[in-house]
Amino acid sequence: MELRPGEVTSVLKKEIETYKGETSLQSVGTVLSVGDGVARVYGLDDCMMNELLEFPGGVRGVALNLEEDNVGCVLLGSATKVKEGDVVKTTGRIISVPTGPSLLGRVVNALGDPIDGKGPLAVSQSDYMPIERPAPNVVEREPVKEPLQTGIKAIDAMIPIGRGQRELIIGDRQTGKTALLIDTILNQKTTGGGDPKNPAQVICVYVAMGQKQSTVVDLVRRLELGGALSYSIVVCASANDEASMQYLAAYAGVTMAERFRDEGRHVVIMYDDLYKQALAYRQVMLLLRRPPGREAFPGDVFNLHSRLLERAAKLSREAHKINPKAYKAGGGSITALPVVETQEGDVSAYIPTNVISITDGQIFLESSLFNSGVRPGVNVGISVSRVGGSAQIPGMKKIAGGLRINLAQYRELQAFAQFGSDLDKATQASLTRGEKLVEILKQGQYQPVPVEEQIMIIHAGTSGALDDFPTKRIPEFETAFLALMRESHAAVGKEILETKQVSDKSKSVIDAAIKSVKKQLVG
Amino acid sequence: MNESLADTVKVGPVAARYAFALYQLAKEKGELEAVTRDVAQLALLLDSEAQSAWIFDARVPAREKRERIERLALTLAPITANFLRLVADKRRLELLRELPAAFKRCALRGRNAVEGRVESARPMAPGELAELCVSLGQVLGKEVTLRLQVEPSLLAGARIYVDNRMLDVSAQGRLEGLRTHLNSARLR
Repeated sequence: MELRPGEVTSVLKKEIETYKGETSLQSVGTVLSVGDGVARVYGLDDCMMNELLEFPGGVRGVALNLEEDNVGCVLLGSATKVKEGDVVKTTGRIISVPTGPSLLGRVVNALGDPIDGKGPLAVSQSDYMPIERPAPNVVEREPVKEPLQTGIKAIDAMIPIGRGQRELIIGDRQTGKTALLIDTILNQKTTGGGDPKNPAQVICVYVAMGQKQSTVVDLVRRLELGGALSYSIVVCASANDEASMQYLAAYAGVTMAERFRDEGRHVVIMYDDLYKQALAYRQVMLLLRRPPGREAFPGDVFNLHSRLLERAAKLSREAHKINPKAYKAGGGSITALPVVETQEGDVSAYIPTNVISITDGQIFLESSLFNSGVRPGVNVGISVSRVGGSAQIPGMKKIAGGLRINLAQYRELQAFAQFGSDLDKATQASLTRGEKLVEILKQGQYQPVPVEEQIMIIHAGTSGALDDFPTKRIPEFETAFLALMRESHAAVGKEILETKQVSDKSKSVIDAAIKSVKKQLVG
Repeated sequence: MNESLADTVKVGPVAARYAFALYQLAKEKGELEAVTRDVAQLALLLDSEAQSAWIFDARVPAREKRERIERLALTLAPITANFLRLVADKRRLELLRELPAAFKRCALRGRNAVEGRVESARPMAPGELAELCVSLGQVLGKEVTLRLQVEPSLLAGARIYVDNRMLDVSAQGRLEGLRTHLNSARLR
């Protein structure tokens, strides 16, 4: 945003004219000790929990421990300017962040301050919302029923995610967790053409906690190239930020998402990742001398994640009638895709089990699959989606049923594959089918596939039409087949999208196209 | 030490409890005056490093400390003497450092009074200060005593600190407020 001098001066004139210097008794305290990003303050008699405090030099802090004779707080900024004896003021405000459409396309920190060099945000005081808010209650909610397409064949077909669901993405480092998130953001362009003003457009919020800054820069560049930044918000608390900022970023992100949800929009929020957030929280709480529990995490580390993920919700269409104060329109949703990084595939560690038990399902990414070339390395055998099934479109549901059974049989028989020709015909057929399906589910990075095309290509696999086709040439087939469908039979894709079904007529068109492409490629 | 810290001497929860007990007992027995005098005498003793070093010196054996306390107790009222004995027995002599401030706070609270400090850009006339005390007392519902401190960096006006609260009516504070206000102004 460009700052025009005239505009700013007029704003300043108005602001100065209407400025009311309010003089009220402010609660003050003095810094007793400061270090490691936390401070103890003496005084502050009527300080509130989570209240924003003002230190000299413009440094802000949050009161977290209200004790008998002092207040323990975390500093949200450089502690180098704060010294013993400094005067601390209360602000009367609970820590809050700016929200609203002016954040779209921006990269902000955990306090909502822009860090992308594109100038200040166009927000007013009323756009600020406290970062800790109650989740929607039971009557304001509705069961998950609309699909959120990730554009990833393996996920949309077998682990479908619905709008309002919380689906955990879990895996070791370097298994493509962040890549999966980027693909999901890119694919949301299909919902509203990438225009954030279009009410059908799904808004994406990506929260980076404890990530490398280079990763975040790369992500932002990817989104920009894919035309996806315009409907996205990136909240970044990278590894070099204060631990307090790293754990608050998640709450800041979901607060920004809630503004859109409460206006009836659909949002998907990604927390990358909650393990690092828990580490940052542990650091801050230990410095504040809260008692440590298992693995030295504080006792409320479960609540840290459960109250965050509980704010992801599918609102009822009547929500704005039930609670007109909180909601401008009903029917909105927040889908949460939290990420947890495991160490050596250990999903039974403390934080992973916590988050697994909170979420409505999980997607396991396995390094062995990833390294053997199955990318995305989704282990469909142990990945589940507990509520997404009712959100899948009927056409996909029908086809995916066959896919699941075929793949389950394949996994069971895989151990016998080395016996080769000694196997009976049925077993061999299962193995070939499985091989083809695994190949079909492979997908390049940054190449999300629209749902109608997913249905077509998966149909090609489950119908057995590719059983006699060389496995290695399946990617080539996929490209040619989908190109043909797009160019010559565009009506089929359109029909699937509109009716959400695959009619017999469309099926025969698809089958004919498969045959012709096969013939063209193999001769 | 920073000026503002000196003003609000830290009183830990332990010292506050001991001081409150001493204050209440003295009040009940009608010996508040004597005890207040004793505490002032103790404060004088504590102020001189040479005379009070033994109290906090870990190398002095507890028995010797106890004997010296007994000698000290001869000059004090029975309640204060017992108080010192109790503190010595509980090995809490360390909290004597905070005792004068803690006791003073109890006494002020007992009279429903507070002490504070006013920073002013220019020296105030005694009448002005008294008037300020009265009007502030009406707001807080307490008897207010203020100590004046001239602070030219405020440019104009005054800033009052009382009872962990601050009333800022200085030009500097106003400018600071205007700055935060402008920083959060809507720009479109």
